[in-house]
Amino acid sequence: MLLELNNIFKWVTQGGNRVFLLKHLDLAVEQGDFLSVMGPSGSGKSTLLHVLGMLDDFNEGEYYFQGEPVHGFRDKQRARFQKEHIGFVFQAYHLIDELTVYENIETPLLYQKVSSSERKALVADMLDRFGIVGKKDLFPAQLSGGQQQLVGVARALIGKPRLLLADEPTGNLNSRQSREIMELFQELNAEGTTIIQATHSETNAAYGSRTLHLLDGSWTSTPEP
Amino acid sequence: MIRNYLKIAWRSLMRHKTYTLVKVAGLAVGVACCLLIMLFVRSEWSYDRSHSKSDRLYRAWQDEAFQDQRFVNVITPLILGPTLEADIPEVEHTCRIMSMRPIVSLGANRFTESVLMVDPSFFDLFDFPLLRGNSVEPLAGPGSLVLSESAARKYFGDGQAVGQELEMELGEEPRRFTVSAVVADAPVTSSIQYEMLISYANAGTLIPQQARENWFNVNTETYVLLRDDASLEAASAKFPEMMRRALGEDYPKGGFEIYLQPIADIHLNNTLPAGNEPISDPKYSYILATVGLIILLVACANFVLLSVGHSDSRAREVGVRKVMGAQRAQLVSQFMGEALLVTVLSLLLGLGLALLLLRPFNTLISRDLAYPFDAGFAGFTLLLAVVIAGLAGFYPALVLSRFNPVRVLKGRLLVSGGRGLLRQSLVVGQFAASIALIICALFIGKQIRYFQEKDLGYDREHVVVVPTNMNRQEGTPLAERYRTALLTHSEVAAASVDLYSFAETPWVTLGFTDEQKAYQSFQYNMVGPHFVETMKLHVKEGRAFDPAVTSDLAQGALVNEAFVRHFGISDPVGKKLPGRFPSRIIGVVEDFNYESLHSPVAPLVLTLQPDSMMRYTENVGMAYGPQPRISVRLQGGSLTGQVALLKEVWAAVAPDLDFEHSFLDESVAARYQAEQRTGDIVNIASGLSVFIAVLGLFALVTLSLARRRKEIGIRRVLGAGVGAIVRLISLDYARLILIASAIAFPLAWWFMSDWLRDFAYPIDLAWWVFAIAGLAALSIAWITIGVQSARAALSNPVNSLRTE
Ligand SMILES: Nc1ncnc2c1ncn2[C@@H]1O[C@H](COP(=O)(O)OP(=O)(O)O)[C@@H](O)[C@H]1O
Ligand SMILES: [Mg+2]
Repeated sequence: MLLELNNIFKWVTQGGNRVFLLKHLDLAVEQGDFLSVMGPSGSGKSTLLHVLGMLDDFNEGEYYFQGEPVHGFRDKQRARFQKEHIGFVFQAYHLIDELTVYENIETPLLYQKVSSSERKALVADMLDRFGIVGKKDLFPAQLSGGQQQLVGVARALIGKPRLLLADEPTGNLNSRQSREIMELFQELNAEGTTIIQATHSETNAAYGSRTLHLLDGSWTSTPEP
Repeated sequence: MIRNYLKIAWRSLMRHKTYTLVKVAGLAVGVACCLLIMLFVRSEWSYDRSHSKSDRLYRAWQDEAFQDQRFVNVITPLILGPTLEADIPEVEHTCRIMSMRPIVSLGANRFTESVLMVDPSFFDLFDFPLLRGNSVEPLAGPGSLVLSESAARKYFGDGQAVGQELEMELGEEPRRFTVSAVVADAPVTSSIQYEMLISYANAGTLIPQQARENWFNVNTETYVLLRDDASLEAASAKFPEMMRRALGEDYPKGGFEIYLQPIADIHLNNTLPAGNEPISDPKYSYILATVGLIILLVACANFVLLSVGHSDSRAREVGVRKVMGAQRAQLVSQFMGEALLVTVLSLLLGLGLALLLLRPFNTLISRDLAYPFDAGFAGFTLLLAVVIAGLAGFYPALVLSRFNPVRVLKGRLLVSGGRGLLRQSLVVGQFAASIALIICALFIGKQIRYFQEKDLGYDREHVVVVPTNMNRQEGTPLAERYRTALLTHSEVAAASVDLYSFAETPWVTLGFTDEQKAYQSFQYNMVGPHFVETMKLHVKEGRAFDPAVTSDLAQGALVNEAFVRHFGISDPVGKKLPGRFPSRIIGVVEDFNYESLHSPVAPLVLTLQPDSMMRYTENVGMAYGPQPRISVRLQGGSLTGQVALLKEVWAAVAPDLDFEHSFLDESVAARYQAEQRTGDIVNIASGLSVFIAVLGLFALVTLSLARRRKEIGIRRVLGAGVGAIVRLISLDYARLILIASAIAFPLAWWFMSDWLRDFAYPIDLAWWVFAIAGLAALSIAWITIGVQSARAALSNPVNSLRTE
C-alpha cells in the first residue's frame, strides 16, 4: 500500500456555514497504480490532489503515506515528505518564466542538496528521455503548450518521486499533445511510478488502470483498491 | 543555488525593464541628491575642525556692560591676548587675528586685499601649511609678509614669490613688505580667511599706544590654545578675577566678562555676532538636511512601493518553488538577496551619479566639497542598503512565502487589506513630501524674488560701482576727475563719489551718549553732493545737498525717516543733530533699504565731509575700508558696451591704475546668497521628488491596471465608455493626492512660517500657493493615471478577456 485515506473531510467556512470540499472520502492506492479521478468542474478533484500532494491540509480523517500518518505530521515533516516522494504536474504548467527549460527542471534538485555534477547528469537524462535536449536553453515563453507541459512533467519527475500527481495535465493542450502526454504517463507507470491524475476526459481517463468518479467532494461509487 | 538566485534576479529585472529602470533610477537619483545635500550640510558642520589642536582651540568673546546696555563682541581689545597668556596658567598660547582691508600695490597694480595681522604663534595654533619660504619664523619681523598661494599667483604668477616686495597702504604712509613664505589657501570651511598675513610686530607703529592697552577699544579676534591637561571650566573660572585686576577702578558696575567659545562652534553659533568672517544661520543646515532626508525617504518609499507592488507577479514563482520543495528560509533568503542586490546596485549608481554631479553642485553652491571616501560614510551606505532592502524585500520574502502554495497558485490570494494600506500610505507619503517641497520651493522662490524686486527706496538697476583703491585724500581728486570725465558722455545719467557705495554695507556705525546717559548708535556715510540724485532717493522734507550752498559742505546733514523717528525730532529741517554732532539737518530722505532686507532700516546720517562727525563720535565701527567709490548710473541698454566706455574713461583719467567694477544689482543680490542657495537646492529637490513620485505612480498604475485588465475588459463589453473607465481609475488616486495635500499643507505652513520669522520683510503665506502646489501634484498624477488608464481602456476588450 502506497497511501491510504480514511474518512477525510475538508471544509471551508463561508458566511458562518461549512461548505464541504471533501466529504467522507476513503481511498487506497497501491504502488504502481495509475488512477484517474473524474468529475465535473468544482467537484473537488484539485482539492483532493492537493491533499494527497500534502500541499493543502484537511480537517478530519487519516492519511497514511507508506504507512506513516501524514495527519499527525508537523509542517516541516510534511514538506520533507512531499519533497522526497511526490511530483506535481499542473494544468497551467506553472513553469518559472525567468528560468530556462534546463533550469526549471533542475530547480527541485536545488532544494534537495544534490551535488552539481549529479544534477547535471540527472537533468541531461531527463532532457534526453523527453526529447527536449534542443530546447534546454529556451525560456518557457518560447515553447508550445505541449512542450511546456513536457517540461512540467520532467520537472515533476526529476526528484524520482514515488507518486506523480497530475491535475488536468492536458487541460490546455490539443488532442495530439494530450495523447503524447498520456502515452508518456503510461510508460512512466509501466516503469513503476504511481500516478494519480484528475481529468475531465473519458479518453484520458482510459489510459489509467482504474477510474474513480467524484461529485461534490464524495465518490459516486465505492472505491475498490 | 546562489547562482540560480542571481540568475533569476537578473532575468526578472531584465524582463521588466521599464519597471526596473524606474525603481533603480528613482533610488539612485534620490541617493545622489541626498548625498550631495548631506555633503554640504556636513561641510557646514565641519568648519574649523581640521586643525589638529581644534579641540583645545577657543576664540575669546566678551560681554561688557556700558551704561545699562550690554555689548557682546567677539572682537576684543588688543591687550586681552597677552593678559590671558600672562595671568591664566591653563592658557598655553594666544593668537590675535586682526582683519584689515588695505590697498596693496605692486608697481601700478593696486588691489584691495584681505590682510590679517597675526601673532607669530599663528602657525603653531593653526594647521595652515607653509608651502615655500621660511617655514620656521615666517612672521619674524614687521616687514615679513606671508602670501596665500592664490595671492602669490595673482601677484607673481608662476614666478618665485618668496623674497619679492609688495607695498601696502597701512596707516598714513605706504609700507614695504618682503614675502617670507607662501601658505596654502585657507579651506572654505575655515573661519579664518586670508590673502596675506603680516606680523603683530606692526601693531606698535600702526595702532597708538593708548589703543593697544585700552580695554574699551576692540580691534581683534583673540584665539586661545589651552594646555593639554587644562579644562575650559578651570580656565574660565579665573577670568573674572583677571578682569577685575586688569581693569581696577575702571571695572564697570555691570561687569566685563570674558568667555571662550570652542573654535568649531564659531561658524554656526549665531547667538554671538560674526567676527572677521561671516557666520551661517544653522537653520539653513537644518532645512537642507531635512530636504535631503525627505528626498531619500521619497526615493526609498518609491523603491519599496514598486517592489511590493510588483511582488504579485512573483507570487506564482513562490508557489511553484514551494511545491518543488523550497523551504521558507530558502525563499526568504532568495527574495531578500534579490532585494539587496537591486538596492546595492541602485546605491552604487546613486553614488556614481553624485560623484558625477559633484562639480556642478559645487558651482551651484560655491563650495569645494570633496567626495567622502571614509569608513563612516561606507558604514552609513551599507546600513541604508540593508534597511531599504529589508523593506523592499519583506513582502515577497516574508509574506508571500508564508502562504499555502495552493492558494498562491490558484490566484486566490486576494489583495489583502494590510498590503493595500501599505501601498496607499507609501503613495500618500511620497506625494505629501513632494507637495510640501513644492510649497516650500515656491515660497522660498517668492521671498528671494521679493528680495530682488522689492522697491528698496533707491534704484539699483544700471548702476556700476568703481572703487579707486586709494585712501580718501589721494582718491577723491581722482574720483572727481573721473566723474567729470564720465558726465561728458551721454550714456552716463549721473554719478556720485562716496566713501561707501550700496555694495559695501553696513556703512559706518557711530555712537554717542545722549542726555539721558543712554548709548545711541546710528549708521553713517560720507557721500558726494549728487548722491541723492544718482541713487534716486526721495527727499521727504527739506532738500538734498546743493553744491552751490557752501555751508552744506561743512555742516549740512541728510537723515532718513528712521533717524527722525528714533530720536523723536519734530520739524527736523534746520535742527541740529542729537549728541555733540554740530551738523544741521537740511533734509529728510524717505527710508531706503541700504542694508539687507534681513533687517529693518536703521537710522542714518549722510554728510559731505566726515570730519565733523568723526570728531564728536564716541565709537566708530567699520566693516569695510573707507575709500572713494564712484557709483555711475547709466542710461540703460547694453551694460557690457557701457562698461567698456567706463573702462576707457578710467584709462584716460588714471592710466597707471587697474579698472575694477561691480554691478550694484548683483552685489545687492549677493546678500541673499544663503536664501538663494537654499532656494536652488529646494527647487531641485522638489523637482526630483515630484519626478520620483511620478515615476513611482506611473509604474504602480501600470501594475494595477495590468491586474485590472479583465475587470476593465468586462466593463467595456458591458458598455462603459473610455471616459467612465479613466474616471473610475483616476478617482481612486485623486483621493490619495487629496489626503497627501491635507498632510503636506500644515507641515509646509509650519516650516515656512518658522523660516520667515527671521526676516524684517517677510512675504505672506498666500493660500493660493498651497492650492497651486496641490493642484500641480493632482494634475501631474492625473495625467500619469489618465494616459495609462486610457490606454488600457482603449485596448480591445476581447484581447484581455481571451487570455484568461
Ligand atoms: N480555499 C477554498 N475556499 C473556498 N472555496 C474553495 C476553496 N478551494 C476550493 N473551493 C471550492 O471547492 C470546490 C471544489 O474545487 P476544486 O477542487 O478546484 O474542483 P475541481 O478541481 O474538481 O474543479 C469549488 O467549488 C471551489 O470553488
Ligand atoms: Mg480543478
